[in-house]
Amino acid sequence: MPHRLELTGITKAFPGVLANDNVSFSVRPGEIHALLGENGAGKSTLVKMIYGIMQPDAGEIRWDGAPVVVANPKAARKLGIGMVFQHFSLFEALTVLENIALGMDAKIPSRELEARIREVMTKYGLLLDPHRTVATLSVGERQRIEIVRALLLDPKLLIMDEPTSVLTPQEVAQLFEVLRKLAAQGCSILYISHKLHEIKALCDTATILRGGKLVDTCDPTQETSRSMAEKMIGAGLKDIVRAEGRSMGLPKLVVSRLSTKKTGHFEVPVDSISFTVRAGEIFGIAGVAGNGQNALLDALSGEILGDDKDAITIDGYGIGLLDTTGRRKRGLCAVPEERNGHAAVGDFSLSDNSILTARDRLGMVMMGLINSGAARTYTGKVIADFAVKALGPSSMAGSLSGGNLQKYIMGREILQKPSVLVVSQPTWGVDAGAAAAIHQALVDLAAAGSAIVVISQDLDELRALCDTLAVVNMGQLSPARPVAEVSIEEIGLLMGGVHGATEASHAIPA
Amino acid sequence: MQFRLEKRREPSKLMSYATPVAAVLLTMVLGAVIFSVIGYDGIGAVREIFLTPLTNSYKWQDLGVKAAPLIIIGVGLSIAYRANVWNIGAEGQYIVGGLAGTGIALLTWGMTGWWILPLMVLAGMLGGMAYASIPALLKTRLNVNEILTSLMLTYASVQLIYYLIRAPWKDPMGMGFPQTRLFSEAARLPTIIPGTIVHLGVPIAVLVGLVAWFIMSKSVFGYRMRVVGAAPHAARYGGFSENRTIWLAMLVSGGLAGLAGVLEVAGPFQRMVPGFPTNYGFTAIIVAFLGRLNPLGVIVAGVVLAITFVGGEVAQTTIGLPNAATGIFQAMMLFFLLAGDILIKYRLRRVMPQATAGTA
Repeated sequence: MPHRLELTGITKAFPGVLANDNVSFSVRPGEIHALLGENGAGKSTLVKMIYGIMQPDAGEIRWDGAPVVVANPKAARKLGIGMVFQHFSLFEALTVLENIALGMDAKIPSRELEARIREVMTKYGLLLDPHRTVATLSVGERQRIEIVRALLLDPKLLIMDEPTSVLTPQEVAQLFEVLRKLAAQGCSILYISHKLHEIKALCDTATILRGGKLVDTCDPTQETSRSMAEKMIGAGLKDIVRAEGRSMGLPKLVVSRLSTKKTGHFEVPVDSISFTVRAGEIFGIAGVAGNGQNALLDALSGEILGDDKDAITIDGYGIGLLDTTGRRKRGLCAVPEERNGHAAVGDFSLSDNSILTARDRLGMVMMGLINSGAARTYTGKVIADFAVKALGPSSMAGSLSGGNLQKYIMGREILQKPSVLVVSQPTWGVDAGAAAAIHQALVDLAAAGSAIVVISQDLDELRALCDTLAVVNMGQLSPARPVAEVSIEEIGLLMGGVHGATEASHAIPA
Repeated sequence: MQFRLEKRREPSKLMSYATPVAAVLLTMVLGAVIFSVIGYDGIGAVREIFLTPLTNSYKWQDLGVKAAPLIIIGVGLSIAYRANVWNIGAEGQYIVGGLAGTGIALLTWGMTGWWILPLMVLAGMLGGMAYASIPALLKTRLNVNEILTSLMLTYASVQLIYYLIRAPWKDPMGMGFPQTRLFSEAARLPTIIPGTIVHLGVPIAVLVGLVAWFIMSKSVFGYRMRVVGAAPHAARYGGFSENRTIWLAMLVSGGLAGLAGVLEVAGPFQRMVPGFPTNYGFTAIIVAFLGRLNPLGVIVAGVVLAITFVGGEVAQTTIGLPNAATGIFQAMMLFFLLAGDILIKYRLRRVMPQATAGTA
């Protein structure tokens, strides 16, 4: 039996980088094949060429044994290649059915389409009501729409790009069920992820890329997570080093009954949240995306101003009415989730981006004039200390890869030695090596006496990093618990919260 | 053979300098073609409009006098546009600035003293700021689009001139002409080169450009304008409030337009007349963009546009080109510039024809 998909000597160059250098691997029918690699290793480029978004400079793609040219995504779908992207393309105000209908290449009457959707859902156990509005769905449910959309075309190969980064543990388990069912029926799956235990649990084969080159094709069940991570980053992996006998200090950041007003149509506001972070403590806030995390970060950083001075205090001093600049001067730095356009300006140099948040704390301004030399020196230090891959302080922020930009942003805030640091998704889309470096920097900052709040959807990250954990759901925060005392199932249930209940009542029978 | 636009990794510095030059050259070529087709001497028209003002040294003083207000207004607009604050009503702020200066000149009529001119300049700038604060207030309080309000206020300001010079400020000795009396000596802008019409406003314009360049590139104010325009969300994160930025942008651009207005009325006009609005405020929009929203570039662009004004007048007398020809050339320039700007972020790539899909 020929391979479903076979790549031979695929090479793709961009100005200045060789994104894929002579990559060859193959996927059998019904195989779940992991594609593993750091950011910038060339996974996305490779997948884009398989799905027809880009064309290889050299090399050959064979489909069921015959060489093919995949000119565009439509041609890919025609061959039987489906793809579920990391970022969904859904209209929130439309229903599930309408969203699927909009994405179809062929026009199908809506009744017939609905019947086919229900058939696919029943076959694979994807519970979803086709008539619900997307805005009312959880992220996991939205992902199911994208999967259903891909499955309607009867794909012989399904590409999944980092599918679990936004799911609760229960939702991940459900997704794996679906993928295993699909594979059992002969559909090949190309699974892109950097979560190694998932790959061990799900995949038959793993292809590891590093710097555009193929490093190894291995059987993940025969490897340890650590051995795969080391192949991926090409070096030994460092564990988080914690100082021995660490003790927490006095309460540093105290938040009491913090609320925000509802702004956007689909934005979840913060609803009377209270918690305390002591000096030296890392406080984790788990939760499924879209449960008020953005509003919470903005309310803490000062981008959204409340009307109660004492809703947020640092060392007993009320900062609730200060703007972001005032709060930074008081020692509170923050890193929002969105890197480009929020935490950094893509069209500005890294040096100019340092001025954005570090100008007052590090004396980059004198009598209204900017000391660009000081900004350049500081940026150089961030680049060196956090191993940011950039040509130098004058590189445009937008020209950095996502992971490198995140390293720069985290470095820019951490090296200001804030007494309180609030970060959202500190390692989202960042590779294992860089994530370990960022985690270590956060632990070191806490050890030096800072209070740190980490808002994240990655439970592994929170459990490895935090001392205390709480869960945010629909803008409300669960009571905080020491991280050693909560099980992953408990957290999962709290994360599911209201969503879990509504989901059950709306679900169609399988 | 096909061409395709491909996004560049970094915006091209070369292209950001090359497109304004290319826009001017393309304007000359297409202008020559258009005017030849409609029966004029096209090549002659381009020569008279773009070259004569430069080769004929007698025209240089006209260039300076025309360029000064364009540069002063253009610098203000370039600062506002950097912050994505679209003040289209510089013409109105220019007019109100001129009227405020006129008010002081008439109040002090017949008096002497060094303080009269500075007071007029101050009044002109405050007048322009006050007029620009109306769109700023509407934008920040009620979220009304500043493009519409600032533009419409321009037409209101023209009516204000007509009212003032027909009734309260009418020249008592003017034999019924709708104009104010000639300013007294102390309220007139001195010429700086004897025997020419080059007045104090010309060096002031250059100074405004240099100071603005320094502030925009070195100060927190300039940083604020750039970051708000490039990424409003990041600006808020960095501690720059959007409303405060809108106010600053409107006041600076309005104040500079008012300054240009008072310098015009105290310099070339020396009295308020119905012909005072000369569309400098609108032409300065082209100047700001042609100068890449960079105050130094605005100085150069102001001279280029002044060339088309002076050259347009030359071409009217020498080859009988209609007055509207100047406007056509200026509009083409802006068109080519904005169209060419795509090459800053994208490159043209030749692509080979390829089989569409399927197995080979």
